[in-house]
Amino acid sequence: MSRFFATGSDSESEESTSADELITKAPGGNFKQSLLLSDDEEDTKRVVRSAKDKRFEELTNLIKTIRNAMKIRDMSKCLEEFEQLCRAFLKSKTIVDKEGVPSFYIRLLADLEEYLNQLWEDKEGKKKMNKNNAKALSTLRQKIRKYNRDYETEIAAYKENPQESADEEEEKEPGDSGSSSDSDEEGSDDGVSAKAFLKKKPEATSEASKFLKPAKGSGDESSSSDEDDEDWGSDSVDSDSESSDEGGEGVSASLAVAFLKKAEKSGKEHVGKKKKTKKKDRPEEEAEEEGGEEGEGGWEKVKGGAPMEKPKMFAKGTEINVPVVVKKLNEILQARGKKGTDRAAQIELLHALAAITVENNLGEGISVKIKFNIIASLYDYNPNLAAFMKPDMWKKCLDCIDELLNILFDNDNIFIGENIAEDSENLITSDQPYRVRGCILTLVERMDEEFTKIMQNTDPHSQEYVDNLKDEGRVCGIIDRLLDYMETKGSTEEVCRIYLRRIMHTYYKFDYKAHRRSLGLQGETKSEQDQEESEGEDSAVIMDRLCKFIYAKDRTDRIRTCAILSHIYHHALHSRWYQARDLMLMSHLQDNIQHADPPVQILYNRTMVQLGICAFRQGMIKDAHNALLDIQSSGRAKELLGQGLLMRNMQERNAEQEKIEKRRQVPFHMHINLELLECVYLVSAMLLEIPYMAAHEFDARRRMISKQFHHQLRVGERQPLLGPPESMREHVVAASKAMKMGDWRTCHSFIINEKMNSKVWDLFPETTRVREMLVRKIQEESLRTYLFTYSSVYDSISMQTLSEMFELEIPTVHSIISKMIINEELMASLDQPTQTVVMHRTEPTSLQNMALQLAEKLGNLVENNERVFDLKQGVYGGYFNRDQKGGYQQKQNYQRGGFQSKRGTSSGNYQKDGYQGKQGGYQRGYQGGYHQRDHQGGGGGYQGGGGYQGGGGYHQRDHQGGGYQGGGGGGYHQGGYQRDHQKDHQGGGGGGRGGGGGYQGGGYQGGYRGGYRNQNQSNY
Amino acid sequence: MATRKEPSPVSTVAMASTSGTLDSPVKQIQIEGLVVLKIIKHYQEEGQGSEVVQGVLLGLVVEDRLEITNCFPFPQHTEDDADFDEVQYQMEMMRSLRHVNIDHLHVGWYQSTFYGSFVSRALLDSQFSYQHAIEESVVLIYDPIKTAQGSLSLKAYRLTPKLMEICKEKDFTPEGLKKANIGFENMFEEVPIIIKNSHLISALLFDLEEKSTVHDKHELLNLSSSNHLEKSLQLLMDRVDDMSQDIVKYNTYSRNLSKQQQQKHQYVQRRQQENVQRQTRGEAALPEEDITKMFKPPQPPPRMDTLLIAGQVNNYCQNVKEFTSQNLGKLFMAEALQGHN
Repeated sequence: MSRFFATGSDSESEESTSADELITKAPGGNFKQSLLLSDDEEDTKRVVRSAKDKRFEELTNLIKTIRNAMKIRDMSKCLEEFEQLCRAFLKSKTIVDKEGVPSFYIRLLADLEEYLNQLWEDKEGKKKMNKNNAKALSTLRQKIRKYNRDYETEIAAYKENPQESADEEEEKEPGDSGSSSDSDEEGSDDGVSAKAFLKKKPEATSEASKFLKPAKGSGDESSSSDEDDEDWGSDSVDSDSESSDEGGEGVSASLAVAFLKKAEKSGKEHVGKKKKTKKKDRPEEEAEEEGGEEGEGGWEKVKGGAPMEKPKMFAKGTEINVPVVVKKLNEILQARGKKGTDRAAQIELLHALAAITVENNLGEGISVKIKFNIIASLYDYNPNLAAFMKPDMWKKCLDCIDELLNILFDNDNIFIGENIAEDSENLITSDQPYRVRGCILTLVERMDEEFTKIMQNTDPHSQEYVDNLKDEGRVCGIIDRLLDYMETKGSTEEVCRIYLRRIMHTYYKFDYKAHRRSLGLQGETKSEQDQEESEGEDSAVIMDRLCKFIYAKDRTDRIRTCAILSHIYHHALHSRWYQARDLMLMSHLQDNIQHADPPVQILYNRTMVQLGICAFRQGMIKDAHNALLDIQSSGRAKELLGQGLLMRNMQERNAEQEKIEKRRQVPFHMHINLELLECVYLVSAMLLEIPYMAAHEFDARRRMISKQFHHQLRVGERQPLLGPPESMREHVVAASKAMKMGDWRTCHSFIINEKMNSKVWDLFPETTRVREMLVRKIQEESLRTYLFTYSSVYDSISMQTLSEMFELEIPTVHSIISKMIINEELMASLDQPTQTVVMHRTEPTSLQNMALQLAEKLGNLVENNERVFDLKQGVYGGYFNRDQKGGYQQKQNYQRGGFQSKRGTSSGNYQKDGYQGKQGGYQRGYQGGYHQRDHQGGGGGYQGGGGYQGGGGYHQRDHQGGGYQGGGGGGYHQGGYQRDHQKDHQGGGGGGRGGGGGYQGGGYQGGYRGGYRNQNQSNY
Repeated sequence: MATRKEPSPVSTVAMASTSGTLDSPVKQIQIEGLVVLKIIKHYQEEGQGSEVVQGVLLGLVVEDRLEITNCFPFPQHTEDDADFDEVQYQMEMMRSLRHVNIDHLHVGWYQSTFYGSFVSRALLDSQFSYQHAIEESVVLIYDPIKTAQGSLSLKAYRLTPKLMEICKEKDFTPEGLKKANIGFENMFEEVPIIIKNSHLISALLFDLEEKSTVHDKHELLNLSSSNHLEKSLQLLMDRVDDMSQDIVKYNTYSRNLSKQQQQKHQYVQRRQQENVQRQTRGEAALPEEDITKMFKPPQPPPRMDTLLIAGQVNNYCQNVKEFTSQNLGKLFMAEALQGHN
């Protein structure tokens, strides 16, 4: 704190030097400082001021940088600056000759030498230094020794009075400012002399005039200091307020008042100090590490100094040529990334530099280089990675890239590349091609990422979002231009990268133009036409071209994966189902997508969803369901699609994770409508599940096709009071209930109505076609459900009646019923002459079904009980006797079959370990029916249909699982949609070619048994 | 159905005559017709489907005979009035009954049942607390479905002393149950019931019989069986599933236990060997470590639930058996009648 007080009072006293001589309490340090200052000023006033001031200002600035460098032990910087200082000093030789060597200069030399010696002695510290620094240190030490020989006397004199230096160091900052700003002002009137005089004896009586004049001066000064050091917050503000009221009062006040003010003033001074200390806290934070007395001042000064430096640099250097500019550029860039660097100012500087370059016609090479750096610093502007660029900054950046591209397009002879070393750059000669270091592709990619970030961080329901989204066109434009550029200049990898960018901006957009063309140019709404105009080429063609290039040329897996997924997505979006599906199957992405990074996985999920929706539109309900199952069953569709974070997880993840997850989010305009997704899924599930439920009403081993759908049904059942459906889910549930009764009309009215149209169906591009498909499906599935549910109450039923009931043509009815009969879902036969279905009534009654189930369960129970018994006995003798009884051991046999088919390899193990009972007289093929098991067991991996014939004793129906089912389904399933193969129950059905029976296929059986067995096995 | 009071069991009918050797203080239960009617009425008014109604039995013990002379229902309480104080209500009720000079001694409770499913943990716990507090307490199980089919089904149960012991100790581990030598057969004992009607009640019943329709009267002869059987089977199946699960759990437990035993054994052996070796080398034996600490035995699954399930399954089986034999008889009768025509 005391330090700040010290500095505070220093700068305060600096004011006092100019303004209020009346302060009696001026501390000793101040006094001395004023003395020193006055020395300077006295020198100053006799020469041509501007020249001298300029030189001295330059010197002091340099000194300041050196001192800063000393503080942070940056020897190379020190050396550099020192050389500059020497040069500057030489330049001001004439003045120095007149004035004598300025004391601050001597002070620096002395201090620097001392400092260097210190460092030199400090072996430890030297070891720690990096190479550059160490080298610089030795050079600098030699240099300063040589140099100081010329000023030996002065230095010696100075060293005699080292106190001066200590004080001076503290006062350096105000001293600088004083020398830069005070001197002109003070020089303008003779107050300076008075002041100087006064400083020597501050208690001297003040005459009114003498008081007034400096007061005025101070007023001016404050304004001037305002101008040239904006960043000086503390000082300038303070001096401002103080000096202004000083000035005002000074002018109006009488002598007496002025005297009276003394007391007041001192009070004010305290206030001022306090204020200052507070204010200084802020810069202090930045300059914490520096820790020096003038830490904050020093750093501020660099910032402030820069703009002053630059014009000077070029104003003086008459020959503005490329090396000079490059040097300057490097100088500016050196500040980059450092603490406390004002990034905005840096960007300004770079812009100014660019302007100068253009002004001076230095060639395109250099301007390209500067442009690169401008863009880079624009990206740097926001230090926080997580945060996003401000849209206006981003737009600036966009402009820059545009300009850069312009230059690149205009000038064929510019080579740019990351791998061009700084040294081998060629910026000057125009006869040779320019060579510039830098990668435009990276910049554009970064720009694109920033765009995504901006979109992520804008409220999607605001006008702002729309405004920002409008810029997407520009982004696409830039990418397109760069794409053109890269196609001629870039390497294949680069071309792949930019192609991917292009793809990423294309794949999710629906190409209305192409769509309309395919529809034969029907008149559509206006908004669509607008969009159509913005779309140039047929996006499918573009996608095809770009993706194929990437498939062929890309060497990095990631780009290809993204390209494939985007391609599939695009296909699916435009209802090219077969292309999309084939591509998906060919890519084999399902197998290894879990190893990809999250953004790719999100893209994969998006693609799967789009694929599912596409399948639905095409009326391939089963495919749609399978594609959507993974996403929907988790209940985290939102998260999986990168469209939002789930609140549920909030406590599980920390802020860091959340940030990362937020960064993965897909911008709003690319979102897939979740309600649409869910609705499609639920309707597909309904169309599959309801007939299945009806067919397997009494099957104990019935598995759910869709857990989520069942969940919705249960929720619906739990409602105490059923009102008319409101939400989409309620609609589907109500429709399902109607369908269960075979009431397709009600079902239809629940699925397709005003509400659902507006919520879901209208979102499809081919609304009417989808609706027609849906009605058709509802009719068919309702018919099936009806037959399943009510076949037991009919002896026979006329197809005519059915056709009328479900408004389906007789051939369709015929085909549906035939399929059911073939699949042995319906125990009936068709009587051709009368066009009737004759029921066989072989289905067991529900009571019989129940009894069968119970028998099976009891079998399980007994078996489990046996195991307890075995464990107690420690032997397996128990199996012998019971073998003869049959009953439950049928099941064991059957189970093992199922088990084997499911878990090919582990089964042997299991047999050995757990099934020793078999050796004790447990013959395979013990009963006639069992030989079938063998052929299934042999089927091994492919066939999920295994194990069904355990129950085969009583159910003929059960055989249907068989080879065909498993083969067809299984094969398809291999390439099918399941990423998660644990969901056994969909296994066989994955293919969807096997008709409704697919779900009876072994997948679920085997899964059930296998899972069950597995559990047991693990226990052994 | 309120009118379907069957006159047949009005006379003194012993509903169950088994369990001859009752070592409990209550050997017989005599129920007032009024109580039966009140219980039936209670279910009729409040119970529906699988919901259960409960109430308090009042009466007194005469020698080894428990006479139940009155009862009152527990109010059906919904979740809204969670602050409803049942005990308070009972006390209040009994006090009021005493005022009108009715037996006010608490001798048990009654409960309706759905297809004979009543053997549950809840019943066990509450009957235990009853029997713990009032030794002669019984629980009356009323089966409304069977009653609706034409035969009044009312059974009185008590916990066997063995089970009481176990419940007192709360030791439901396999060992505990084994030691107590208790199985599902001897968890509950059924106490024979005698229903005694006062003249007023008899008069009322005759009156009701007059009023009831022919259809009501011949419910007993209903031949359809599948519905009832299906329900029973369904419930039976559920219980069997539970049982299976429990057994699997137990299996896992015993397997883990034996595995650990083996490990323990191996460990001890190794230790011994090492010690022997050390002795030969002349070193000090390894310090004894607490083996039980190293091998924590797995938590044995509580077996009481399994027992209860077994009891319940047994109960269902009895029911089904009873029902089918009755139905079979009816079917033969119907066949004979058909042939006669």
